Amino acid sequence: MSGSRILITGTGAVCGAGMGPEAILDAVCAGRSALAPITLWDTAGWPCRVAAEIPDFNPRTLVEDRKLHKLIRRTDLVGIYAAGSALAAAGVVTHRDSLEESAAATFNDRSGVFVGSGGGNYQNQYDFFPLMTEAHGDLAAFGRELTNAVNPMWLLRTLPNNVLGHLGIKYMLKGPNTCITNHSCAGAQTVIEAAAALRAGEADRAVAVGHDTPIEPEMVLYYYRLGLLASSELLPFDARRTGSLFGEGGGAMVLETEASAAARGAPIVGEYLGGGYACEAQGLIAIRDDGDGVVRAVRQALDDAGLRAADVGMIVAHGNGTPQSDASEAAAIRTVFGTASPPVTGFKWSFGHLIAAAGILEATVALASLKRGTVPGIAVWSRPDPDCAGVPVSASAQTPTSDVALVICRGFASTNAALLIRAL
Amino acid sequence: MDTHRRVAITGIGMVTPVGNDVETTWDALLTGRSGTAPITLFDASGFPVRIAAEVKGFRAEDVDVPRKTLKLTNRSHRFALAAAEQALRDAGIRPQPDTAARWCCAVGAGMMTSSYGELAETHDHSGASGELDAGLLLSDPAANDPLVFCRSQASAGLALVTSCFGIEGYATAVHTACASGGQALGTALKLIRRGSADFALAGGFDSMVSPIGISGFVLLSALSTDNDTPERASRPFDLSRNGFVLGEGAGFLVLEEWEAARRRGARIYAELAGDGNSLSSYRITDSPPDGDGPIQAMRAALADAGAAPGDVDYLNAHGTSTGMNDRSETAAVRAVFGDGVDNVSVSSTKSTMGHLIAAAGAVEGVVCALAIHRSEVPINANLVDRDPECDLNIVTGAARRQRVRVAISNSFGFGGSNSCIVLRNPLEVDGKGAQG
Repeated sequence: MSGSRILITGTGAVCGAGMGPEAILDAVCAGRSALAPITLWDTAGWPCRVAAEIPDFNPRTLVEDRKLHKLIRRTDLVGIYAAGSALAAAGVVTHRDSLEESAAATFNDRSGVFVGSGGGNYQNQYDFFPLMTEAHGDLAAFGRELTNAVNPMWLLRTLPNNVLGHLGIKYMLKGPNTCITNHSCAGAQTVIEAAAALRAGEADRAVAVGHDTPIEPEMVLYYYRLGLLASSELLPFDARRTGSLFGEGGGAMVLETEASAAARGAPIVGEYLGGGYACEAQGLIAIRDDGDGVVRAVRQALDDAGLRAADVGMIVAHGNGTPQSDASEAAAIRTVFGTASPPVTGFKWSFGHLIAAAGILEATVALASLKRGTVPGIAVWSRPDPDCAGVPVSASAQTPTSDVALVICRGFASTNAALLIRAL
Repeated sequence: MDTHRRVAITGIGMVTPVGNDVETTWDALLTGRSGTAPITLFDASGFPVRIAAEVKGFRAEDVDVPRKTLKLTNRSHRFALAAAEQALRDAGIRPQPDTAARWCCAVGAGMMTSSYGELAETHDHSGASGELDAGLLLSDPAANDPLVFCRSQASAGLALVTSCFGIEGYATAVHTACASGGQALGTALKLIRRGSADFALAGGFDSMVSPIGISGFVLLSALSTDNDTPERASRPFDLSRNGFVLGEGAGFLVLEEWEAARRRGARIYAELAGDGNSLSSYRITDSPPDGDGPIQAMRAALADAGAAPGDVDYLNAHGTSTGMNDRSETAAVRAVFGDGVDNVSVSSTKSTMGHLIAAAGAVEGVVCALAIHRSEVPINANLVDRDPECDLNIVTGAARRQRVRVAISNSFGFGGSNSCIVLRNPLEVDGKGAQG
C-alpha cells in the first residue's frame, strides 16, 4: 500500500519474565512462567492470588533519575524504561548527539513518540483517603484542608500521558505524538499509528511504547467479579482454561523510514509490514463468538502489507485464557487461514496479560522468536479444546513457515488489532 | 496518494456549559454570555476555588439510550452520547449494517476515575483509617460492583459510543490532557485519508467538576480563584488573568470522505483539512515562553492542509487564561504568522465556556466549523486590559461578521502535546477543484 518500507531499528521490553525481548524469549522457550503469588499486598482470602509481577522491582534500575520518581507512577517507570531501551538499541540519541545544532533540532522535530497507556488506576485516588478520614465526610472540611493534606503534584503523578511527556523531555523528541488509552489494543495501536505517521511523511522515526501495571487490589477484584480472571492458572486454548491473569510490563520499538535508517546507518532488526484494526461494537466487555473483529483486523493487515494468508509464518495469538476470547479467536483463525494455519502460539501463560502493553511487548518477543527461527511452545497447554480446533498450538516449540509473524491483540470495547512484522 | 482523499465535516453536536446543543452554545459564544458560576454539583464552600463552568439543566433521561445502558455511563459519557447523537442527526447519516465497518471512532477521553461518591464508599468501607486495607475490599460493595468498574474505565466512553451507534471500524481513545480532543479529530482525519475508514464519529468528552477533579488543579494553583466574579474569571490574554476556569461537556463531529459527501448532497460545514502535532519537551505543566512546540504544530498543520499562513482568517486559541499559556501561545502565533499576524482574528472561547479539558479541542473544532459556515467569529470575552505580551488581533466587544477562508484551532496539553487542526471553507475547496 505504501511506497516506503517501515523498518524496526530497536526494541525494548520489561515484564515478569525478564528485561529485554531476548531474555523474555529465553524464559518462554524454557517453559518458565512468571505467574506467581501476588506480593504487592496480602492476598490471604482472595479468590485470585496470582499475577506476573516484575521481580525485585527497583525504580532506579528502570529510571536512573531519582527526582523523577516522585512525579511518576510504577507504570510510568516501566514505560520509560522500555522506550529508553528501544531508543538505545536503535542508537537514536547517540546519533542525534553527533549532529551539529540545527541538524539536531530538525532531527528532534522529525522524531515522534506514540504511547499506549493503561490510562489510570484506582490506587492513586487513595491518596485522598487521609484527607477524607480527617474530613469525616464533610466536603467543606475536605476543601479547607486539601492543600495541607495532599501532595501538590498529585495530578501530575496521575496523568495517563506521563510516559509521553517525560520521554519527550528526557530524549528531546518533539515530533508527532499521542497517548492512546484504549485498553489492551493501545500498545499495538501505537505501532500502527507510528507507522502511519512515517508513511505520511510526518516524521522520519518514532518510538512506539505500551506500558501498564494493572496488578492492584481493586482492579484484580473487578476483573475477577466480571469473570475475566482465573484463580491461579492461565491456559490459552486449553480445554481447562477459566480466565486470564494480570502481568505488568512495557514493550517498545523504534520504527524508522528506510531513508532515515540508511542515512544514519541504523541497526535493522525487522520490518513493520502492515496493520489492521476492527471494533465489534459490543460494548465494554462483550465480544462476538465468531471472532468477526479479529477476522477483519487480520484481513486488513494482510491487505495493508500486500500479503496472502499463506505468507504468514507464525501467529502470536492474543490467547488471554478466557473461555470466550480464545474460542472466538480460534474461530477467526480458522476463518482466515482455513485448514492451513501456520504454527500458533501465545505468551500470556508466561508473563500474564499486560493489558495496554500486551500487543507491543508480544510483538517484540515475536520478532526475537522469528530471528531465532522458533515458535515457542505454550508450555502449560495439554488438553485440546474442540472449540479451539484448527489452531495449531503445541506445548513444545514449532518452526515458523516464513519470516513473517502475525500478532493479534484484543481489548475492551470489543476492539481488535493485528500487526504483521518481518525479521531482518 | 493519501492527500487525494479530502475530509468533510457534515455534522456537529455540542453539550457545553453555555448550552446543551449547538444553537444555544453558539449564541452564547457570539455574545460572551458566561457559563461560569458558583459550583452546584458538590459542596465547594471550603475549597479555594468555588466556581466552575458546569453543564446546566442536562438530564440523564434526555440521553436516548436504554436504561440498562445509562447505568454504564458516568456524567461525561452522557454528554458524549448526547453530543454524538446531535452530530449524527445533523449529518443525516449514521452507521448501517452495510457501512458499519467503514465507520471509525476517535475520542478524546477524560482521565479514568471513579466518582467521588464511589470513592467515598470505598474510603468508608476499606480505607477509613486513611489507608486502604486491601482485605476489606473483598466485602466492599463499590469494589465488587461491576457497574462502578465499567463507568470508570478509560475506554468506557469509546465502548458506549461505538456500541450505541454501531461503529465497527477503527475505534480509539486518546488522552493527552488538554490536547486530547484536537488529537482525536486529527486521528479521525488521518484514518479517512489513509483509507482505513470512509466515515468518522470524532470528538471529546470530559467532566472533572468533582471534588477530586477540581482538587487536582487546585493543588497545582492552575485555576482562577475569582470566586466573587465568576463570569469574569476566565479572561484569556487579559493582563489580570489568574488561571483557568474548569468546564465540562462534549463535542462531536461527523466526518466523511469529501466526494462521497458531495455525492449524497450533504451539507458541508467545512473541510477538515489539516492536523499538526508536536511535543514541547520542555516541562510537564509549562509552555516554553518562546512558543517552541506550538510553532511546529501550527506549521505542520498548515502544511498538512496545503494552506499558507496568509489564508487563515480565524484562530481559535488554546487561550486558557493562565499567565504562561497565553504568553507562550502569543509568541507562537506571532512566529507563525509573522507580519500578517494582524490579519488573523483571534479568540479563545474558553473566555465564555471555560476549559473543557479532554473535550476542549473537539468543541473548539466545532466552533471553527461554525465560524466558517456562518461567516461569524465568536468573541474573546472579558478582555479589558490587554496584556502587552499578548499582542494579537483579538476579537473583543462584538462578534465579527467576516468570511472565514481557513480557521485553525490550537490545543495544548499537560505533558507537552500540542495539537493544531485546520479547517477550510468549502467554497475555497471548490474554487481549487482542479487541484483537489
